Amino acid sequence: MSDKFFYYLSVLAKGLPVTLSLSFAGIITACLIAIILSVSLTTTKKWYITKPIKTYVVLFTGTPLLVQLFIIYYGPSQFTFISEHLPTLWNIISQPWFCAYVALTLNSAAYTTQIFAGAIKAVPQGQWQACIALGMNKRQSLKVILPYALKRALSTYSNEIIFVVKGTALTSTITLMDIMGYNQYLYGTYYEFSIFVLTGCIYLLINGLLSIMMRLVEKRALAFENLEH
Amino acid sequence: MFDWLNYFLPLLEATKTTLFLAVISLVMGLLLAFLFTILESWRCKPIAWLTSTIVTIIRSLPEILVVIAIYNGIPFLLIFLADNVLAGGLDLSIPLGFTEFNLHLEITNFDISPILCGIIALSLLYAAYASQTLRGAFKAIPVGQKQAAEILGLSKSRTLLHIIMPQIWRHALPGLGNQWLVLLKDTALVSLITVNDIMMQTRSIIANTHNPFTWYLIAAAIYLIISLISQRLLQILETKALYFETTSTVAKK
Repeated sequence: MSDKFFYYLSVLAKGLPVTLSLSFAGIITACLIAIILSVSLTTTKKWYITKPIKTYVVLFTGTPLLVQLFIIYYGPSQFTFISEHLPTLWNIISQPWFCAYVALTLNSAAYTTQIFAGAIKAVPQGQWQACIALGMNKRQSLKVILPYALKRALSTYSNEIIFVVKGTALTSTITLMDIMGYNQYLYGTYYEFSIFVLTGCIYLLINGLLSIMMRLVEKRALAFENLEH
Repeated sequence: MFDWLNYFLPLLEATKTTLFLAVISLVMGLLLAFLFTILESWRCKPIAWLTSTIVTIIRSLPEILVVIAIYNGIPFLLIFLADNVLAGGLDLSIPLGFTEFNLHLEITNFDISPILCGIIALSLLYAAYASQTLRGAFKAIPVGQKQAAEILGLSKSRTLLHIIMPQIWRHALPGLGNQWLVLLKDTALVSLITVNDIMMQTRSIIANTHNPFTWYLIAAAIYLIISLISQRLLQILETKALYFETTSTVAKK
């Protein structure tokens, strides 16, 4: 029994690098994109900047991640000129890891943009006015206000991080062998329900550790608020 | 040229399946969410802890794992029940004085319909998220209101129906609406357990037509249309729910 347990664990652990690398790469890129998009969404009123960003957010938050994943992975194969004339591009977009990365990043960036834009909008007007009163221009005041807003968004953002980790499990549907992929392989071979329990425990562990980490980060980031207490 | 209508009609049929799944899961999920919320605030601590542990576990597992584990796990559960609890069938005889009812319970079929598994998984997922929203809404009601209602001589059921429920509805509606949108998108996962929903139908169309990009885009458009319509409906519901508050502030001015 315990032999089996360790065997299952060793097989499932082989999927760990894919799950973790996808999660971290996706989270970091999505965060950077979201910061740029949310800042440009909140600081300008030009329609040719805000409209495309809003459309992007609606498109990616309104459709399932599975559909986005399939469009990016299976979609380009329809256009034969890519494989015929652009072999380097074809090599890149036929990699399942890259497709999963793009889909996860774009999906998460859309949600994160919503979160960050909301946080920037929620900054009290007095802070902007204080920056103007100090003679700062828009860019300088953003440097002060942005960190403040992002710290405020941390608790919502930690949920989004967990969602990205959970989203990586979908990549097993495009032939990527992550934890879920190995879970399917093991279940297909041995037909034992304990495999699902074990997989669930691994995801629980990852998400539990991540949420504890995020709570610590939040505590430190918002330390300036608790100084008086 | 391929015949568009031949592909569109099955896709519409599949859209009906997706909507059916989502709506049934929403109703079941809301009931379960109320149950979870009540159990989580139960005085008996072990029950409260157990419920909140279950909710935490469901919330941190990937949705695809929940769906597939339930689909594959239910036969194991049925076999277990058949072997241990209902071993050789369970005979019940209920005496009614003048006659006797004879019941024979036995599990003979270990297959379960994938659509039922989908409903179970999706409503569990919805309930796990919605119970947190509901808990927040319950907490947001000041204790003083209950006492005020008591002093005014309102019965407990009327207090619940006319004072507490409308407020919970107002507080929880935006959160529940968001989770409805998540649920709608999660229904795409049931295509992995062979339910013929939009995704499954799209894949079979693609197997015939060999243009994945177009058809996945069409599938995405269908999901987008449904979620945009639901967002609009939710907006209307929210303004209706807030009607009381807006009118009362106007009256004050």
